[in-house]
Amino acid sequence: MRDLTEKALEICSKEDATYADIRIVTIKDEDISIKKGNIQTLNIRTTTGFGIRTIANGGLGFAGSYDVSGKEIERVAKLAVRIAKASGATRKKPIVFVDEKPVEDNYQTPIKKDPFSIPSEEKINLLMEADKRMRDYNPEVIKMSRADYRGHKEDQIFASLEGAYITQQITFCGGGISCTAITQGEPPQTRSFPGSFRGNFSTKGYEYFESLKLLENTDKTAKEAITLTTAKHCPTDRTTLLLDGHQLMLQIHESCGHPTELDRVLGTEAAYAGTSFMTPDLLGKLKYGSEFVNMTSDCTIPGGLGTYGYDHEGVKAKRVDLVKEGLFVGYQSSRETAAILGLKESSAGMRADSPQKLPLVRMTNISLEPGNWKREELIADTKKGILMSTNKSWSIDDKRLNFQFGTEIAWEIIDGEIGQILKNPTYTGITPEFWGSMNAHSKDDWKVLGTPNCGKGQPGQVMYVGHGCGTARFNNVRVGVMQEATSTSGIQ
Amino acid sequence: MVFNKELLLEKGQFVLKEAEKLGASQAQVTIISSDRSLTRLANSIIDQNVAERHFNVSTDIYIGKRKGSTNVEVFDDKSIANAVANAVQIAKISPENQDFKSLPGTQNYTDILTLDDLVSKKTIDATPEQRAEYAKLAIDCAHSIDKRIKAVAGAISHSTNERVILNSLGVEAYDRSTTSNINLTVLADDGTEETAGWSSDNRMDFSKLQVKAVSEKAAQKAVDGFGMKYLEPGNYEVILEPAAAGGLMFYLSYFGFSAMMYQDYISFLRDKIGDQIFSEKLNLWDDAYDKRMEYRDLFDSEGIPKSKLELITEGICKNLVYDTLTADKDGVKSTGHSAAFFGRSLPIATHLFVGEGDSSLDEMIAETRNGILVTHFHYQNAVNPTKGVFTGLTRDGAWFIKDGEIQYPLRTLRYTDSILRFFKEIDLIGKYQDPNDTNGNIPPLKLPSFTISGSQKE
Repeated sequence: MRDLTEKALEICSKEDATYADIRIVTIKDEDISIKKGNIQTLNIRTTTGFGIRTIANGGLGFAGSYDVSGKEIERVAKLAVRIAKASGATRKKPIVFVDEKPVEDNYQTPIKKDPFSIPSEEKINLLMEADKRMRDYNPEVIKMSRADYRGHKEDQIFASLEGAYITQQITFCGGGISCTAITQGEPPQTRSFPGSFRGNFSTKGYEYFESLKLLENTDKTAKEAITLTTAKHCPTDRTTLLLDGHQLMLQIHESCGHPTELDRVLGTEAAYAGTSFMTPDLLGKLKYGSEFVNMTSDCTIPGGLGTYGYDHEGVKAKRVDLVKEGLFVGYQSSRETAAILGLKESSAGMRADSPQKLPLVRMTNISLEPGNWKREELIADTKKGILMSTNKSWSIDDKRLNFQFGTEIAWEIIDGEIGQILKNPTYTGITPEFWGSMNAHSKDDWKVLGTPNCGKGQPGQVMYVGHGCGTARFNNVRVGVMQEATSTSGIQ
Repeated sequence: MVFNKELLLEKGQFVLKEAEKLGASQAQVTIISSDRSLTRLANSIIDQNVAERHFNVSTDIYIGKRKGSTNVEVFDDKSIANAVANAVQIAKISPENQDFKSLPGTQNYTDILTLDDLVSKKTIDATPEQRAEYAKLAIDCAHSIDKRIKAVAGAISHSTNERVILNSLGVEAYDRSTTSNINLTVLADDGTEETAGWSSDNRMDFSKLQVKAVSEKAAQKAVDGFGMKYLEPGNYEVILEPAAAGGLMFYLSYFGFSAMMYQDYISFLRDKIGDQIFSEKLNLWDDAYDKRMEYRDLFDSEGIPKSKLELITEGICKNLVYDTLTADKDGVKSTGHSAAFFGRSLPIATHLFVGEGDSSLDEMIAETRNGILVTHFHYQNAVNPTKGVFTGLTRDGAWFIKDGEIQYPLRTLRYTDSILRFFKEIDLIGKYQDPNDTNGNIPPLKLPSFTISGSQKE
């Protein structure tokens, strides 16, 4: 492939590009889904292609194709430069990148068992059994069941006109189960394990999927779904709220991950995903949260779904502080956005979801650093509150201030003990006020969870990202929003 | 990109022959060839500018009730043959899907529209330089509206696509399309606050995009946004501009009328088909062949031709939308609404119309005692889909109306409410607008009650 990358870069140079890089990528993805005893999806997707990014006339251009041949590379390289020149015509200042020492290197996700070396039959059998066990728990009430698996592998080559040549193989896999219970006269209730939206994922081998122990958790999942159907509604109240990792991860994702993406802050997403309240003038000044809030972007955490060796513009993986003791101190950035802000270096945050897509600033592993509490101590220390788990619904405004989330399940906490289950839990808040009310975070149940469903960009891209967190406690949070909204309408 | 129907058919037939040779009892192949280009604006410059070429081959193999699928981006016959062989191997190890009966058989395709009706040469031939010209026009127009215009953001895009779907039972479907879109968010700043306005347009013909009109409308909304105030949560009358109404119609269609959502106990319309549960003024249907639809698919992802389907008639829920699998489960025929995404699929309506009324926006405002006017919604999501409860936020312009007059612009508001409640009554319906900033044909609506549950301050 090196001859092809050299050819592409040479053509870009001849066409007057001042910078160029090329990524040649092959993605293999296995997707298995079982629903109510029937196989719904058994699909293997293979994508091979390349993308060329150039700077010419001060502007940025990108073009990509599925056809990794010398002839097509020539067409696409010329097109990328032509697009860059057209872009440059509208710019007031030429694009500048922060310096990055070009390297030749190789990185591979450390894995014990290659997910693609495990026969699909083995995965299917496990999923079918898990799916069956949930329905068998109570066939009269468990009306819907699902079990999912996904394995993913990317072979990437990155080469730049600056002299970088990096090969990487990124592997992740994971899965999960869920079931829906319906009892007479009650709305359906769904419960998932280990997380909603097809489970949890990690940059590890098949050993990660095995470690999820789906079969050992079918009865608990079914039992909780059934209990939810007759449970008390989450009350409308202002109360102490505890979020465990399977909801806290999305809270971090939406209210810290996205608003600290520097391209978004600088206006790139203004017409689509939105902008951010965490503007550059507030860097080092904004009190984002309480003194217990420490947030990081770290693409080096072993097993994190946002872990890799180099980002898609050849910057080595690193850890960056975003919020330190409650103070907003840093951004996720690229070589271009770092230069705009006068930062010394990129945070290594640039990734694309497929070869023909332009790399964007994407979350890596955005984590709430561990606190000093044990989860049990945190619950025991709570006189009255609600513990919520497992995301069901999410929505946040275009500046990432007003959010509203729903979870699958909640529990009352009274006098330091977990009490009855509550259904249809929701909560809402304003980002800095919410994080400002955080007074405790656990360390013993801290782990990095992963979601492969983060959307961004035009054309749209979907990226896999990680979030480290435990269980956190927040004061005076508005809960039971849906109850407020529908109680006057007779819709329960 | 040059259309090549014969080549796509030849590749498709090759897949079916390979499948038969390897023992498939039924097979379907979908080949999509496309060129997509998009110029992205931010801070009144071209910020990103991309072009992509794709050639995607999706193969579904059945051995009895066992199914295997592969999805590859390759062109050469050897790689395609490998993908077919892989799909056969997957099918052999797959458990049987008891819900599967058969792929659809031979279909009749209407000739209401010719292939030439589906594409524009000007879109096929659009260049990066033309997109840059549009970008400059959009930027200049917006800045000429008011000195307080701070930045123009958005995207100008076009695509050229051709698609073939063949199956071993005789389906042979071919269509092509060109699409183009401009969407702009214009930001304004007077030193004390930042406001935003939005508008969009969709055309089959790139040269007909209403760049100036979209830019001016978005800029004027931004200018009209100065002086924003907070609004207390509560129930208000609401005027939904077409894009706002369109966002709600998408959720109504997706969570309500998809047979998969219904069969999975997610739909809020469960046991309500045939009932009048919405305002009798509400008529909703799906019709790919209506010439008012700017671009369209002639058939679904199983090759079943599109046809008009009533979803809501005078407030009565009429029909679910089906693909073959969900239709077989309910013992009915597919309505031609299969939509496939990388091996997964579900039935969904994608060519929506809401019946027009005759009210103007001014009349709607004059009829409003205590309400809000919404440009469009951001980040909508289901809170409890079984009860039709959704949430979302106003974006790029919302205004408070009192006693028939616009009073002042509003800071971002969150709604949380049930579709089953707020579409029970509709006061007024307007006309389709040009430029059309919805993905279907949706007019503005005035509702008597809509629940605002929060704002950007606690």
